[in-house]
Amino acid sequence: MLSRSAERIYWLARYVERTENIARLVNVHMNLLMDLPKGVEMGWRQLILINGAEHTFYEKYNVANERNITRFLLADDTYSGSLLSSLTAARENIRTSRDLLPDEAWEQVNEMYLFAKKNLDTLANRRHRVIFLNEILKGCQRFTGLLSGYMSHNDPYAFIRLGRNIERADMTTRILDLASLLLSESRSDEVRQYETILWMNVLKALNALLMYRQQKHSRINGDDVLNFLLQDSNLPRSVSCCISEISECIIKLPNNDQLPEKIIELQAYVQTINNEETTQAQLRVILDDLQNKIGSLHNAINHNWFSIVTG
Amino acid sequence: MKSIWENYKTDVAYDELMYSEFQSRPVSHQLCRYLDTLKKDDIEKRKNAAELAIMEMGISFTVYSDEGNIDRAWPFDIIPRIIDAREWRIIEKGLKQRLTALNCFISDVYGEQAFIKAGKMPSEIVNSSKNFRKECVGMKPKHNVWANICGTDLVRDKDGIMYVLEDNLRVPSGVSYMLENRVITKRVFPELFQDIDILPIDDYPTHLHDMLTSIAPHQNDQVTCAVLTPGIYNSAYFEHAYLAQQMGAQLVEGNDLVVNDDDCVYMKTIRGLEKVDVIYRRIDDDFLDPEVFRKDSTLGVPGLMRAWKAGNVALANAPGAGVADDKVVYAYVPEMIRYYLNEEPILPNVPTYLCSNPEHLEYVLEHLAELVVKPANESGGYGMLVGPHATAKEVENFREIIQKDPRNYIAQPTLSISTAPTLCKSKLEPRHIDLRPFILQGEDTFVTAGGLTRVALKKGSLVVNSSQGGGSKDTWIINMEDK
Repeated sequence: MLSRSAERIYWLARYVERTENIARLVNVHMNLLMDLPKGVEMGWRQLILINGAEHTFYEKYNVANERNITRFLLADDTYSGSLLSSLTAARENIRTSRDLLPDEAWEQVNEMYLFAKKNLDTLANRRHRVIFLNEILKGCQRFTGLLSGYMSHNDPYAFIRLGRNIERADMTTRILDLASLLLSESRSDEVRQYETILWMNVLKALNALLMYRQQKHSRINGDDVLNFLLQDSNLPRSVSCCISEISECIIKLPNNDQLPEKIIELQAYVQTINNEETTQAQLRVILDDLQNKIGSLHNAINHNWFSIVTG
Repeated sequence: MKSIWENYKTDVAYDELMYSEFQSRPVSHQLCRYLDTLKKDDIEKRKNAAELAIMEMGISFTVYSDEGNIDRAWPFDIIPRIIDAREWRIIEKGLKQRLTALNCFISDVYGEQAFIKAGKMPSEIVNSSKNFRKECVGMKPKHNVWANICGTDLVRDKDGIMYVLEDNLRVPSGVSYMLENRVITKRVFPELFQDIDILPIDDYPTHLHDMLTSIAPHQNDQVTCAVLTPGIYNSAYFEHAYLAQQMGAQLVEGNDLVVNDDDCVYMKTIRGLEKVDVIYRRIDDDFLDPEVFRKDSTLGVPGLMRAWKAGNVALANAPGAGVADDKVVYAYVPEMIRYYLNEEPILPNVPTYLCSNPEHLEYVLEHLAELVVKPANESGGYGMLVGPHATAKEVENFREIIQKDPRNYIAQPTLSISTAPTLCKSKLEPRHIDLRPFILQGEDTFVTAGGLTRVALKKGSLVVNSSQGGGSKDTWIINMEDK
């Protein structure tokens, strides 16, 4: 498999995963805000905070309201982290990787892109937005499903899984970041009152509520949720589970050099995070650190397979 | 309700499907009977379904510009063009004969030049050909075949005879559209495939792959084939990716490949460097290898010619094969068939005047307004004059251009190329069409069942090139024997 193709396919998977994550995040957040009383400090702004996009946002918009933020996150093609930009990048990557993937994969991404382009103008309206986001979520799921059903578990497939899980782990840490904001000592009594709903929201953003309930058999509390999303070994979107998947792929791929050891270290690091006695500030440091480690794992993958030295 | 055939004119040219507004030819009886059962808005629905499928399948040209990338959907007409299998078998034989002779000629040009020595063709024609590559002299590609993939353009004149208009021997494109057109037609008119015996075409990628394997430098079990594309900025990128995918070959760009000191070609993979045996290149000679041809080429692979000459990699088509893709050389193909194969040509050429010949030139200049004048080495329908459709000023302009560089121009009578019913605003109208079958030659020779029918969508237009407002149709070769 060409290094260039491996890189494109890896990014294809990251962008499709990102598209799905943004869609779910906006969807869940919208539902949350419908439940919260007006005036609670949770608002739309949180969504740009966890994407680290505050600066970019305020360069273009004055007010962090629903209309502007959903527009920014979903439809703004000048913001590289928007749903539309991710989907466009996914399409461009798959368009140039068609030789390795089933036709249906290309058609799925292409259809989704055409659908998004056609419906961008309707997104200001909540009802239309709900329909739109559901359609995108379904599309991403179809993509993942048809690859798992049609594609050999070969090297290209390993790069798809690599990209998907790196992106997923990254998103989970971002959503936990959002959670750490909730733990803030200075949170208002009003927020404290709605804490269960907020934690449910965090779980839903990762499609993990039902699985949490099955696993924990208890009422929802912050420590358990954090624990579950970081360390559970069965939940597909827990950081630990993503790392295990990454590990499987890395071991299967040729020329993996130092990467297997690196990934064992990372897994050990995640497993030893002890959040029971952490303050919000400490948690943020841990999550920052974790994000950096995931970033450096990406760099190692890039160095190892995508930039071949010739000679 | 008005018929979709209302006022259908068959007096402009030979019509492939109709004798007249009211009478279909035998080949199209079944299609026409079927179309009659459809209401006007049914037809419209099918057309929309086809357009949607084209969008979703992403069959497009991409036009890249500073303002962004514009995907233009592939213009497709849902009414198929039909040819009787009995006629097709003759055409197929003619096409094989022609490519075989052309390959003999190319081998000869880079070898002893017996054809020229026998006085069949002036040596200046080869010497002055843009596509003659002196680097290729003395080379012997496997099976003595230089042009492994050929797209030959055929047109039918008023007399009902199929003429060869040109042979595309460099990097002919369009075959993926031929294949996709069939996929779409099957979706849009599935009923028809039940009742009509239409020859299948989807085995092309298999034949292409077999042909490429047959020219590999060695005969190991594992032959690594790659399709070399100029990249996504090329308008035919869709086709390059499509063919690579269908063959299970690697789609590579120039910088994915390296030629090492051992004169072998390698591709950069996640396993390190892997050897490549056969390259189906979709890059013109000029850009193939900056060590030999254009130094500024960033699309090609430095050292590729070295590897090819050392016999370590096969290139399809072979470098230099374009020498026969010259409209002046074209005029000599019937003679080549007689000379190399000792046969009479099965498919006729369009009568051609060579402006390099003083007598011909004189005739051409006198009759400019009736003739079609073409540059010898262009493709895509660029830089030509269609006399009867040109203004007096354009004609005069061309007179100068030809006189400056007579070697590079040929002229042909303006053919009244055939028409086929084409859906225009819920109504059928005759539009001019041509046909590009694809011929493969390696160890064996293969011709597609039909080819790509291109259609000039603009009323009265004779230019079918997609870069100039042309579209395409599915092409059916149908068995009529037991009907």
